[in-house]
Amino acid sequence: MSAAPGGGAQTLRTPGRHGYAVEFSPYLPGRLACASSQYYGIAGCGTLIVLEQNEAGIGHFRSFDWNDGLFDVTWSENNEHVLITCSGDGSLQLWDTAEATGPLQVFKEHTQEVYSIDWSQTRGEQLVVSGSWDQTAKLWDPAVGKSLCTFRGHEGVIYSTIWSPHIPGCFASTSGDQTLRVWDVKTSGVKIVIPAHQAEILSCDWCKYNENLLVTGAVDCSLRGWDLRNIRQPVFELLGHTYAIRRVKFSPFHASLLASCSYDFTVRFWNFSKPDPLLETVEHHTEFTCGLDLSLHSPTQVADCAWDETVKIYTPACLMNPP
Amino acid sequence: MKRLQVVLGHLSGRPEPGWALGLQAAPCSGSAPAAPSRAPADDIVVVHGRRTAIGKASRGGFKDTTPDELLAVVMTAVLRDVRLPPGELGDICVGNVLQPGAGAVMARIAQFLSDIPETVPLSAVNRQCSSGLQAVMNIAGGISQGSYDIGMACGVESMSLADRGNPGNITSRLVENSQARDCLIPMGITSENVAERFGISREKQDAFALASQKKAARAQSQGCFQAEIVPVTTTIQDNKGNEKSVTVSQDEGIRAGTTLEGLAKLKPAFKKDGSTTAGNSSQVSDGAAAILLARRARAEQLGLPILGILRAYAVVGVPPNIMGIGPAYAIPAALQKAGLTVKDVDIFEINEAFASQATYCVEKLGIPLEKVNPLGGAIALGHPLGCTGARQVITLLNELKRRGKRAYGVVSMCIGTGMGAAAVFEYPGP
Repeated sequence: MSAAPGGGAQTLRTPGRHGYAVEFSPYLPGRLACASSQYYGIAGCGTLIVLEQNEAGIGHFRSFDWNDGLFDVTWSENNEHVLITCSGDGSLQLWDTAEATGPLQVFKEHTQEVYSIDWSQTRGEQLVVSGSWDQTAKLWDPAVGKSLCTFRGHEGVIYSTIWSPHIPGCFASTSGDQTLRVWDVKTSGVKIVIPAHQAEILSCDWCKYNENLLVTGAVDCSLRGWDLRNIRQPVFELLGHTYAIRRVKFSPFHASLLASCSYDFTVRFWNFSKPDPLLETVEHHTEFTCGLDLSLHSPTQVADCAWDETVKIYTPACLMNPP
Repeated sequence: MKRLQVVLGHLSGRPEPGWALGLQAAPCSGSAPAAPSRAPADDIVVVHGRRTAIGKASRGGFKDTTPDELLAVVMTAVLRDVRLPPGELGDICVGNVLQPGAGAVMARIAQFLSDIPETVPLSAVNRQCSSGLQAVMNIAGGISQGSYDIGMACGVESMSLADRGNPGNITSRLVENSQARDCLIPMGITSENVAERFGISREKQDAFALASQKKAARAQSQGCFQAEIVPVTTTIQDNKGNEKSVTVSQDEGIRAGTTLEGLAKLKPAFKKDGSTTAGNSSQVSDGAAAILLARRARAEQLGLPILGILRAYAVVGVPPNIMGIGPAYAIPAALQKAGLTVKDVDIFEINEAFASQATYCVEKLGIPLEKVNPLGGAIALGHPLGCTGARQVITLLNELKRRGKRAYGVVSMCIGTGMGAAAVFEYPGP
């Protein structure tokens, strides 16, 4: 455990805003977006904060306000200035950081809170998937004003929707209905439902090195790895968090490394291929830790955000000496 | 307020030691709009299946046995094995090719010989070489429509006793239409067409045939077919007309001593300078098979075993003059419906009508040879036309069960007059 992480965290305060999600820009090293909400996202408005990090520290680049809480954010894969957020009023907002104000577009179709948004990283297609508490996921092409497709099946609120980095048109979702589901946007055909936990599942992510491997993080405090070729039981289970796991991300640089953040205020780093998988527990937040991302540009850089009104960028000790 | 309740709900979880037992993985139809969704309770499951040994037509143990007798043996065995009262059946469908009208009368007679009451209905179906699989699909369709919860699908053929050359009453106008004309091309010639058009050499065909014989011989010697074959005691007549009782419990077509040299010496059977021989074609055979299918909820309610789950089915059309390529088109269609790829499937039971077409399909789809017909195919075992599809389903699921882990398998075949059929099954694990 390390109370003071290896790299020494750089902190940006976000007064009056409680962080829900952070995402590194795929284009500009050090640029970071944070989706945040007033009053812990229970009420009030939301703010998209774009940060810039350099040797001097982290600073504000831009902020955009929305009149409901913002719960997730994703960067465009075809324009370095563009991002999309999703909010409690059921809408998505497309923002241009080159402009000082307002969303360029708003997509309002979901009928309840939208809790996840993800821009596909694969191939020529520019597809975005959103997951909502109205129990549907929707497929969007930002160039088209309305959704292309609606995916029904979940029997609870959807918390997480993530594109496969390998399989074109394939995404995973997790829900309060205790299932992980895998969808294919090209066929309306049969996909997979995995009753992955006996608790609400708040997050999932795809391994960047194995197209069949997914991880889920749930209210039962466990992380479980799933091989889509044999879904009867998890291929690994990681225990250690003491409250619900809020978000989980695989490393872009190490095949068996992943990170998770939790209502227990910690961020934990894991190597699921090791007999003793917990590499490190970072305890630098004083409230629920909801946002987490691993940099695509630097193998050691991590960002997270919490309801303690801070965004932190740091290098955990375990990444100084990669697994 | 909902958001507060949701967050409070997240804080209710406590870490549990170990991981909960009783989790079940389920396939999902949850998908894009309008796709029909099927709950696991509505899965179509294979409960059980049995078959006769496959006899050599005109020379083997079943040469004088009528198809209703063969059928009655397997119908009776399947119901007896799982102790299902025959009146529970909602419908029976029998695949047959050579009997008049697909053997509808013969099959109903077999039903009564099996002590299945007259209150259980029956139909016969003929989709040529996929008739046995089509019977499975017809019963599955009835279950998924909600017409009934349990049904029996069968396949039967006596090639010994049937009239094989008669296509029925056909218009003379067929000469004006090339596709119509091609429907009458002998199957052996369609094999030659496939071999020529796609460059499947005689050597490749013979090597495929040899592998089929070797795999079947090994499977037979290891008793792999024992669980599925019902021994049949019947009579045969010698050439003086004397009757004698025989019990047939082993497939008769398998030749353990087959060699590449022996196969290479055989003359082309259908065409001078051709490459299709008696050794690299399916054998002419007699046999029957029966499969019990059910809606999962009903099977569980009755405590019936679940040997497999039907995941997808596809049937496609191809040109009649190269009908053997059917599986190369049907298999991808069925896999797509199941949301699977070739990589996800452990066993492909592809009917070996001819080594030419089977080799073509396997190469075209890039299926690793070790996944194809691991217990041999029709070249060694024989191909009783209407029975084959049902026989393949039984052999596939028994082999997946023997391997003991959850896996997917595919049953596929080419179909005379230009079609292919394929079905995807899942073995759910022990």
